[in-house]
Amino acid sequence: MNELANTIPLLVPHSSQSTESNKTGSWRFLRPLFDEKTSPCSAACPAGEDIARIEMLTAQGLFKEAWETILRENPFPSVCGRICPHPCEGVCNRREYDEAVAVHTVERFLAETASRYDLKPNVEKLTAKKQKVAVVGGGPAGLSAAYFLILLGYSCDVFEAMQEPGGILRWGIPLYRLPLSALRNDIAQIEARGVQIRTGQQVGREFPREAASRYDAVFLGCGHSRTVEIGITGEEMSAVVDGLTFLKQIRQGKITSLRGLSAIIGGGNTAIDVARSIVRLGGKALILYRRRRSDMPAFAAEVQMALEEGVELRELVAPVKISAENRQCVLTLQEMKVSNEDSRGRATVLPNEGKFREILVDRVFKATGAQPAETWFNPSGKEGTALTMTNALLVYPGTGPVLVFGGDLVNETKSVAHAVLSGKQAAMALDTFFQGSIEAILPRLHACLAGQGPALSMEIYMGGPRRFRNPHILSYGELNTDYFQFQPRITQPRLLREERLRSFEEIDLKISTNLAIREADRCFNCGICNQCDNCYMFCPDMAVIREKEGHERCINYDYCKGCGLCVVECPRNAMALREEDL
Amino acid sequence: MRGGVPTKCHGPEGGRPMKRVIEGSHAVAEAVRLAKVQVISAYPITPQTHIVEILSEYCANGTMNARFLRVESEHSALAALIGAQSCGVRTFTATASQGLALMHELLHWTSGARLPIVMAEVNRALAPGWNIWTDQTDSLAQRDTGWIQMYCEDGQEVLDSVLQAYRLAELVYLPVMVVLDAFYLSHTYEPVDVPTEEEVDRFLPPYQPRFQVDTENPCAFGQLVPPGAYMKMRHNIATAMDEALRCLNEIQEEFHAIFQRRYDAVEAICCDDAEIILVTSGTITSTCRLVLKSLRERGEKAGILKMKLFRPFPVALVRKATSRAKKIAVIDRNFSFGASGIFAQELRAALCNVPDHPPVFGYITGIGGLDVTVELLEEIYWKTKNTTFPEQESIWMGI
Repeated sequence: MNELANTIPLLVPHSSQSTESNKTGSWRFLRPLFDEKTSPCSAACPAGEDIARIEMLTAQGLFKEAWETILRENPFPSVCGRICPHPCEGVCNRREYDEAVAVHTVERFLAETASRYDLKPNVEKLTAKKQKVAVVGGGPAGLSAAYFLILLGYSCDVFEAMQEPGGILRWGIPLYRLPLSALRNDIAQIEARGVQIRTGQQVGREFPREAASRYDAVFLGCGHSRTVEIGITGEEMSAVVDGLTFLKQIRQGKITSLRGLSAIIGGGNTAIDVARSIVRLGGKALILYRRRRSDMPAFAAEVQMALEEGVELRELVAPVKISAENRQCVLTLQEMKVSNEDSRGRATVLPNEGKFREILVDRVFKATGAQPAETWFNPSGKEGTALTMTNALLVYPGTGPVLVFGGDLVNETKSVAHAVLSGKQAAMALDTFFQGSIEAILPRLHACLAGQGPALSMEIYMGGPRRFRNPHILSYGELNTDYFQFQPRITQPRLLREERLRSFEEIDLKISTNLAIREADRCFNCGICNQCDNCYMFCPDMAVIREKEGHERCINYDYCKGCGLCVVECPRNAMALREEDL
Repeated sequence: MRGGVPTKCHGPEGGRPMKRVIEGSHAVAEAVRLAKVQVISAYPITPQTHIVEILSEYCANGTMNARFLRVESEHSALAALIGAQSCGVRTFTATASQGLALMHELLHWTSGARLPIVMAEVNRALAPGWNIWTDQTDSLAQRDTGWIQMYCEDGQEVLDSVLQAYRLAELVYLPVMVVLDAFYLSHTYEPVDVPTEEEVDRFLPPYQPRFQVDTENPCAFGQLVPPGAYMKMRHNIATAMDEALRCLNEIQEEFHAIFQRRYDAVEAICCDDAEIILVTSGTITSTCRLVLKSLRERGEKAGILKMKLFRPFPVALVRKATSRAKKIAVIDRNFSFGASGIFAQELRAALCNVPDHPPVFGYITGIGGLDVTVELLEEIYWKTKNTTFPEQESIWMGI
């Protein structure tokens, strides 16, 4: 019967001709293309880090590549992973879905991983140039300027007055926020790139002139190390201490214990650092602030932790007089009242006439803002052509070295990320100046913004692939969130309150690799291709090509009909659909 | 039953193994196991679920060496099998009612692509209103899709029909639907002779496809064809359907030689001298057998024509079996709105070119699982006997 059955007619249509002969691309009037866009975090990062890509690489377990991606834009991952106020997280699109990605936690993890495995970064360096630059000040701005100048091919010497580099990071930030090893890791990486740091080298106001024979430019990043005077009676008493000096003395090991009640005047991060250091030294701390808690320039999370640790805060009081009584100080406080609020909700305060009170304290710390230690650090009044940039000021005297002022000397926001931005901007400006002209600087800087800034990208400046990124900043509504799942943000493990008060141990603890991967995986990777291959899966014409080398995706326009499925199904809007020129 | 196949118990005389008491659904599953099906895909739907439930366990615990594909719909289930069968493996699916309706597009594709897929179809009423009980409209509504359709009377016939379905499908390259009544058959436990693998292997050789997807010689199936070629393909299917009728007969011989059981396209019971023939399908046939016995005892010249095969419709066998009858009463557990019972339509069509053929009475009953009792069937007999000529195309009984 089987033989009989084989004679039953069986006409089955089949073709051995490949469908490749049917070039369906000729039907197309819309053209999909890979069009990577700018994530809001990366545009908001003052250091210009390519955050969406860093998170993508971390989620893929490519820790070294992720770390190198940071180093292209920021030589301070260990530091920024800890003390940067992370504006990136404040604009994270994921906030509208569940919670922002803990970008800083992942950054710190990457820096620690690189250090643990003693990784050597593969960061591109341009060919050597003949110009030499002197950097005055081994703080974050000066070291960043030197680091980026080295990447651009210049040789650089850093002159640091203290016995160890780091500036405010070394002497002004308490250890419980930034352990010494973290800072030293970053500085070691900077030195490994070829930056020469000369410590114990105090330079005077004649330095720029003296340097003319040896250097083509001088970068001044000496920072603000002198506390602003309050201007009240009794300020000169020995029991009235400068907050920054106090923090420095702790870091120098000169102060190991402090009993009694200390009043701290101010509402910035220095005031909080002083107060939290005092409770660790065994004393009591009372912060006196003339506005309200919500108006304090200190980071809200730091204020919260200070209060948890027993620091007291008195709002709406301004000191008017300090006097001695026995071995203590009497602090006379003027009560303040809110008269108005500005557009950002910050209070304008006025004295509450006639309302005063006195408090008895053992000493008073001033933390009311800082200024340059030397008057010649001030950029005003320098002779020559001046070019004001967002975070640096270049003065070209006509002859002799070019002067660039950077870091806290010019930055409106005084953060480590802004110091990195300043150093980077200075390096780009000097390179453009050396290779071109002073007029070319601003257009060149503008071309290197990520999105609309403030992020400034050295990768773009150096001609890396990030320059192809569309500056359009992706909003939440432009994502296809069907492909994402709710996942709570990582809970940062911390020392218990009781443990914190016993020492200057770092409060934020390390996280494990799998937690770091999970957190990085929460990132939407807004606007960039993470090779999820939705486009490949959905393409009805198999016109999406996955390149084995470089993991790139591209489109075979011989067959792409322009249906646009790939664009719609891309979760992260890394594609675009354009009309064909017909 | 669950978690594997029990060792066979032999009767006291050491001959054929004892029968097992299993439900109709499991009779299907046992046959699928014995047929060594390689790919199964299905979506659960009452009253079919028991079939694939046990098959999924067989796949999971290694009783069967088969892939069970979980899918999100019946449409996908059949689509998956079309792909699998094209690769040259033996496949199975099962469904009912809405699930079969959802497969409709792919039912056409299966036969057009000449893929010998076998499906168990548990007759269930179509919604609304929601009704999970038996009704043949779901399967009969698919009569034009090019599937061979076999209707079963009891658990043994279910098991045997599935085995025969693979044999037939793989000879004529057409898909086969083995149809069983919801609950009356799918969920009813009956003694069933479950053959051994060796016996089944003798009857059903491994599937050796005449065409298949082959990565060594890549080709595409089912592309655009011009009208002339398309018409020829359709004619091929028509020829294969005709051949199926002939092959089924030969299959019965082979099957009988091994298992001592046979199921012809139609079973004519006492039709030789019958004046009134009751035409039945599915489990109603069993009830009707009791009625026939009782009527014959009373001297009534009644007969039964059991319709096993619906597609291809066995026209010649029907004409032959009814050639001496005076009246024919077709009992339809289905209805084609605006026309009549579907078996009645087919009977009338088969007889219309026979000169002086007996009148065909169409009775509609048992719709949506309504009990078709001995009394009701006897009433149909007497109604037919006492009426000279059918006054209307369809007479609704038990409403």
